[in-house]
Amino acid sequence: MVMFRYLKPSAAWVTEWWKNSSQASSVWRLTRLYTSLLLLVVGILLVVLYQLSVGQISRNQNAQMNHLALQQKLLAEELNQTDFIRQFELQAGSSRQYILSLITTDNMYGQLNSVPKNIGICPETARFPVWLDKYDEIRLISGCSQSIEAGVLVIATDDESLYDLQRQFISASLIALLLALLLGITTGLIFSHRVLKRINTFNSIAQRVEGGEMTARVPVSSKADEYDHMALHINTMLSRLEDSFHAIAGVTDAIAHDLRTPLGHLRQQIEQGLIDAHKSGSDTQNLEQMLNKLDAILFTFKAMLELTRLEQKQQSSSFKVIDLQVIINDAADLILPIIEDNQQYLTVNDKAGCMVTGDATLLFRAVYNLLENASKYAGKHAQINVEISGHGFIISDSGPGIPDNEKDKVFQRLYRVEESRSIAGFGIGLPLVRAIIRLHDAQISLQDNHPGLKVVVNFNTAE
Amino acid sequence: MRILVVEDSADTRQYLHKALQEQGYEVDLAENGQDGLFLALEHDYQLILLDRMLPKLDGLSVLSTLRNAGKQTPVLILSALDSVAERVKGLREGGDDYLVKPFALSELLVRIEILIKRKGESTEQSSKLQVADLHIDLLSHKVYRGQTEIQLQPKEFKLLRYLMEHAGQVISRSLLFEAVWDYHFDPQTNVIDVHVARLRKKVELDGHVPLLETVRGMGYRMVEK
Repeated sequence: MVMFRYLKPSAAWVTEWWKNSSQASSVWRLTRLYTSLLLLVVGILLVVLYQLSVGQISRNQNAQMNHLALQQKLLAEELNQTDFIRQFELQAGSSRQYILSLITTDNMYGQLNSVPKNIGICPETARFPVWLDKYDEIRLISGCSQSIEAGVLVIATDDESLYDLQRQFISASLIALLLALLLGITTGLIFSHRVLKRINTFNSIAQRVEGGEMTARVPVSSKADEYDHMALHINTMLSRLEDSFHAIAGVTDAIAHDLRTPLGHLRQQIEQGLIDAHKSGSDTQNLEQMLNKLDAILFTFKAMLELTRLEQKQQSSSFKVIDLQVIINDAADLILPIIEDNQQYLTVNDKAGCMVTGDATLLFRAVYNLLENASKYAGKHAQINVEISGHGFIISDSGPGIPDNEKDKVFQRLYRVEESRSIAGFGIGLPLVRAIIRLHDAQISLQDNHPGLKVVVNFNTAE
Repeated sequence: MRILVVEDSADTRQYLHKALQEQGYEVDLAENGQDGLFLALEHDYQLILLDRMLPKLDGLSVLSTLRNAGKQTPVLILSALDSVAERVKGLREGGDDYLVKPFALSELLVRIEILIKRKGESTEQSSKLQVADLHIDLLSHKVYRGQTEIQLQPKEFKLLRYLMEHAGQVISRSLLFEAVWDYHFDPQTNVIDVHVARLRKKVELDGHVPLLETVRGMGYRMVEK
């Protein structure tokens, strides 16, 4: 009906706005949902109300006119021309509500003095302007025409007041919808903001725990609602997690003390035996092998303990501002002979400097470890590149690379890529590197170098 | 040559006692911090081996008390605490070297010898070093074997310099790494051997007596035969 003419452009506008803001946060999403529901309910109510009031009147009016037209048609069939016209003039004269006219081939009867153009055939009604003596002005009336025996019957009614009502109804409806929209947005925003504020608290706490702050807890309010229940559960979970964390740390410390000491003593005894054997000139090969194996065990062990410690550690106050360029050049200096022995090539592009806050020894180890890995796995004649960017560094090689599905796994403790099992190693280097990088609040990612592996390390540099 | 060993583990104490005696040192033993401090203040030792986690008085307190009392005896800290921060703490309190447990005896002996020798000749500063016909000029960074000038990379120069400064002494791989790169961890690969092999190739010329020898299981030694 008429309302849809107004609704169509506004609906288009709403869908456009909807699409644009669909990436917004859930505050907006919730508000939009709430507002559109409210608008829908108010809209339906208005449509029903319209149908029951204005619609009903207009339908009644049309039905009446059709009824009248039909009546005249039947009468025209029954009566002769003169009787019918007399009857008609009587009817037209007495009817207050309806304006009746009859146009025959040679004359016109009734209240109209001309045949309106574009008039519909009953029961289709249309509005048209006429001069009405009663009001002494041109008015818009609605009516229809019906051809009968005697000519064409025009039946109409003055519904200016109904039209006024309709217009008022529509403007009132628009105002109501606008109010509903405003109400929806404000209340929606307020409520969803309240809800989300609490969810955001949960998020920030989770983030702090992720960052290693195991003591962070979600605040619990006195309202004892669902959120407080959730907060209590999360806090309990965090406490458990913290306990087991400490338990692990405790176990590793215990291992460090209880297992390392006897292993250390074992090492001392073997070494003593070695010295004695040297003196007596007997064969030392066996003892040397034992010592090497024991050293390998002690090394893995030390690295594991170190890894655990690094993963639990938080950024230390002993961190200093360090020039990454120095660290990378030192590491490149150290690895260079090995790379040359493997017939590989190393280039360092350190044009862009990078200052970071951190622990020089740890960063050196990380860089050296990555270079060592590149040299170990890239194969003969590989080209290894180190590039310092403003935010960190990139180490790339032209070796076989790592399959995509293993890129994450190589950071797991003791994980080794299938093809690399033949190469000596413990699967602890990359986890250690990642622990060091994370300790520095930096990110490490493995990418494809087409061909080869590209290790990208990015620091959150201050600028 | 008298060395004080302050160590609470009986096994390690006996082991150190035996090993050091075999090297010709006289050894005094203390099993806790208090006794250790008492002995250290009472006598003049060439060196103190000090554990960190000790009953009664911890190692770092022993060390700081000793230094405050004006005793400058070289102290080598032995500790299971192996992080760089702990190491820095130990050296700041006045330790001269820091060795992480479990350690190799060879490493310990090398470091003991260096500490004792350093104490003896710390005043002597020369701008030239010489072993047989190998000379290096510390100011111009030039290296000569006889009349032949040898071109070295900066790190190779540092390596050679450290070995020549400690000519006659066995230098372990980790000591070399610390001295040349100044990072404190064990690269645990043969990377230092590769560097020494390169240096050797450049320095040991045909027709000259070999000077840089490998001491099996211990490290390297620059020696004039």
